[in-house]
Amino acid sequence: MPHMIAQIKELYAYRQMIVSLVRKDLRGRYKGSVLGFLWTFINPLFQLVVYTIVFSYILKSSIDKYYLYLFVALIPWIFFSASITGGSASIVAQKDLVKKIYFPRQVIPISYVTSCFVNMLLCFIVIFAVVLVAGVRLDPLALLCLPIVMVVEYLLALGMALLSSAVTVYFKDLEHILGIVSMAWMYLTPIMYDKSIVPERFLPLFNINPMTHIIECYRAVLYYGQVPQLSSLLSSFVLGVLFLLVGWIVFDRLQKHFAEEL
Amino acid sequence: MERKQNDSALAIEVKGITKRFRVYHDKGSQLKERILFRKRSRFEEREVLRGISFTVRRGEAIGLIGHNGCGKSTTLKLLTRIMYPDEGQITMHGRVSSLIELGAGFHPDMSGRENIYTNASIFGLTKKEIDARLDDIIRFSELEGFIDDPVRTYSSGMYMRLAFSVAINVDADILLIDEILAVGDANFQAKCFNKLREIKARGTTIVIVSHSLGQIEQICDRSIWIHDGLIRAEGPPKQIDLEYLDFMGRQMQENAARQLAEAPPPPPREEPPAEAAPAEAPAEDAPAEDTPAEAPAPESAPVPEAPKKRWGSGKARFTSITLHAEDGRAQRVFRTGERITVRLAYKVTAPVEDAVFGIGIFTRDGVQCYGTNTRIDKLPEFRLTESGVTELTLEDVPLLPGEYLLDFAIESGEGLPVDYFREACTMEMISSTGDVGIARIGHSWTL
Repeated sequence: MPHMIAQIKELYAYRQMIVSLVRKDLRGRYKGSVLGFLWTFINPLFQLVVYTIVFSYILKSSIDKYYLYLFVALIPWIFFSASITGGSASIVAQKDLVKKIYFPRQVIPISYVTSCFVNMLLCFIVIFAVVLVAGVRLDPLALLCLPIVMVVEYLLALGMALLSSAVTVYFKDLEHILGIVSMAWMYLTPIMYDKSIVPERFLPLFNINPMTHIIECYRAVLYYGQVPQLSSLLSSFVLGVLFLLVGWIVFDRLQKHFAEEL
Repeated sequence: MERKQNDSALAIEVKGITKRFRVYHDKGSQLKERILFRKRSRFEEREVLRGISFTVRRGEAIGLIGHNGCGKSTTLKLLTRIMYPDEGQITMHGRVSSLIELGAGFHPDMSGRENIYTNASIFGLTKKEIDARLDDIIRFSELEGFIDDPVRTYSSGMYMRLAFSVAINVDADILLIDEILAVGDANFQAKCFNKLREIKARGTTIVIVSHSLGQIEQICDRSIWIHDGLIRAEGPPKQIDLEYLDFMGRQMQENAARQLAEAPPPPPREEPPAEAAPAEAPAEDAPAEDTPAEAPAPESAPVPEAPKKRWGSGKARFTSITLHAEDGRAQRVFRTGERITVRLAYKVTAPVEDAVFGIGIFTRDGVQCYGTNTRIDKLPEFRLTESGVTELTLEDVPLLPGEYLLDFAIESGEGLPVDYFREACTMEMISSTGDVGIARIGHSWTL
């Protein structure tokens, strides 16, 4: 435990590095493309259009304002899935830095997840626009819960990114495996459908999935205009902290040999 | 590994560290390979450090020396915490900065100023700390006029200047340096060196890994000689560096002798081939031009691919060329100002009339530093009939640190080559003074 506190202190000293890396990542992401930063918005909007066409017009979902129902879940999901799939490659991508210079290695996955997080926050501008257009009456108290939900999701995503980035250094296939895992995970999380249609025997699986609770919280605030259920919020928080702890410990173990393995 | 802030007089404590590397014969980090070739992913453990302990006092500067692969760079990497020891403990008291990788995280499209922020942040500086140092960094880099241009427009020299300026201005308590003083032009190098002295004078602890013993002698209070993963000796640089050079010189000779012993005998030729030259003279058995030098070589003669390094009539040939220090021991590294004796052994196959011996000393870039021969020196020309040894003593050689190539020649009559041997051997000069140029000019100041 004192070891961990020392590490957090050191990370705090290196905060400017995190800021620099996030800035570099956000700036460099769409560099050279014609639409540039607009892609941050275009990409999720296109996904939204495709899923809405499939689910509203072809599968004829009965959910009211399906586009909104989907959108408020999809954006947080994209953040989460980008954090694990992209995050897994983050250490390997920075190997020149890792091999040649000392800094707390956690800086890299933290920066990566933070830059994805900033991207999500920007997308929330669009979400709020859509929410207003759709005429959802937002509850002020519920809105106060939104940052909490975001922080919990951030912790969860960070835990996963720490874990996957460290393991990928030793086992390069993980990056590709995670592409498949993240797709399966998306369909096993009630993003495009409602948890109520899930058969009862599968429910335990959905309940241990931390993303189920997180998505439900987002939806409560932004779609139903309600304060999220305390149980959802609490269980996602507990799972988020747990994931972070596991990710942190594994990362700390594995990082000692990064320079040799890369 | 811990980092402590306390008042202890020690800056670095290294206790019994070992480090092993796995050398994979067949590395498979992909799933398929892991499963299919489970048994094949064998590796060998190579022990690079085999239990090293030392301490460094605050404000002390030490130099780690040793041949390539001895473990000195690994030691430095362990000190920076890029890697961790398998056993043992390292304690660093204070903020550590390393000049190992310059320009880490530089982004070519960002301006010099923005890159200062990125790069300095990797050293663990906060924005406030960087703001406070920005002017110093820019001034030191001498890039005032270009600081807002993207780094991709910089020359490599400008790039390194900027990178070095950031690293040197971090204000660490402990500074770790790996072979960096090869940055930029001679002026900037001198400036870096002065900055290092200034930093040292301020009480910063410094650890340097360098091949340039001269640099180590100028800055360091102590040298640690690492050999095969163990500390072989430590003490004042002047003493340790000499022991090390001695050792290296002897080992190099042994290696050369071994190579000669293993080399296949040269193919038979009409003229008896010159004996393989032992020791310093490279074993390459460059064939002496059989045709007399007066007559042009026949058109059909094969054109050698590399520029020829040895030519002449071959009536007499050098068989061994060795350089000796004052104590008579053969070596190839000397101090500026030292006396060097060149021992030239030669074999005569046919008498040479009016023989002349000559020497030429060149830098790596081909600049001739000095050249003379027995005719220039007004020695009587003589008839060379028997094999023997000639000695040439170079007094107080004033050449400054660097590598030099030596040519030797036997000529006959008015400059007809008998055995002209270009780049017959190399020597390295070292010095603990920081003056620059090719040769030292004796001087004094009146202030």
